Amino acid sequence: MNYFEFFSLPRKLTIDVPALEKQFYSLSRKLHPDRFASKPVAEQEAALAQSSLLNDAYRTLKDPIARTQYLLTQEGVELEEQSKSATEAARASGTEKKQIVPPELLEEVFELNMQLAEMRAAKQMGEDEPELRRDLMTAKDAFDAKMLETQAELERLWADWDAAVEAEDPGLREATKDAMVALLNKRSYLRNLVRDVNEALGV
Amino acid sequence: MAYSDKVVDHYENPRNVGTLDKSSTEVGTGLVGAPECGDVMRLQIRVNPETNVIEDAKFKTFGCGSAIASSSLATEWVKGKTISEALAITNTDIVKELALPPVKIHCSVLAEDAIRAAIGDWKKKNNVAETEGAAVAAH
Repeated sequence: MNYFEFFSLPRKLTIDVPALEKQFYSLSRKLHPDRFASKPVAEQEAALAQSSLLNDAYRTLKDPIARTQYLLTQEGVELEEQSKSATEAARASGTEKKQIVPPELLEEVFELNMQLAEMRAAKQMGEDEPELRRDLMTAKDAFDAKMLETQAELERLWADWDAAVEAEDPGLREATKDAMVALLNKRSYLRNLVRDVNEALGV
Repeated sequence: MAYSDKVVDHYENPRNVGTLDKSSTEVGTGLVGAPECGDVMRLQIRVNPETNVIEDAKFKTFGCGSAIASSSLATEWVKGKTISEALAITNTDIVKELALPPVKIHCSVLAEDAIRAAIGDWKKKNNVAETEGAAVAAH
């Protein structure tokens, strides 16, 4: 049983989180070990298993990113493996592999990493480079803003996905799936960058 | 998880770190990334226009030891090869040479992507058809 089915939800991404929370608490009470203390061991164990499934399902579905990732894996998308098979397909056909990260973003990531390396080197020499620090701060603000943008973008894609499920539109389903994978990838880049910049700035 | 001796060697003494002139028509630049770990890899080749042999290769990688070793090895391997020979290098070759564990396979995939992206860029600059040289898979 998948997490959506567990909560009797359709396989959609826009979720009423407060309602989900309510359902979680009510099911938690029903499955509480105290209620099974006098029951046969088999029943106790079954309740325990249900309870752990409940916790996993709730934790996954309430979190926007975890929910999206979970749905994608349920839809057969292998987030990690995708890259290798795409490379192999490109080699076999002699075509260029479609990059999952937009080139402009990669350029920015590369540049920022160069600045971070400079910052770390300066730190090691016991120097503080005010100009470098300022550049990094500016970059950090830009990446923070981009992180927020991806959130809004993700919600738009949820709406597309839900519409595709409702209309049983396989074309839109596939396109939205691809777009979500690309967005999640972009987001992990941004998250890693923001972490590295914060580390280098010591904030 | 311990790195293999070969990975450590490439990590501690990376070969061919540096930059080639991006604007030169003889130079192809590949910039690729692995979002899961935040790695980013730039690999550049300089191709002899007469022989189509890759005469120089440089890289700069921000990432883990395996990513650095994979790209360092990639530059070593492409040097002296023709474009079609270089296109025959696979991520599996890199995994074998560096004895990469399964969790680091994506680093070798990234290095192959970088080679292919650099060659793709060079082809575009020199109006070579995208699929040219792909059929020659022997090496």
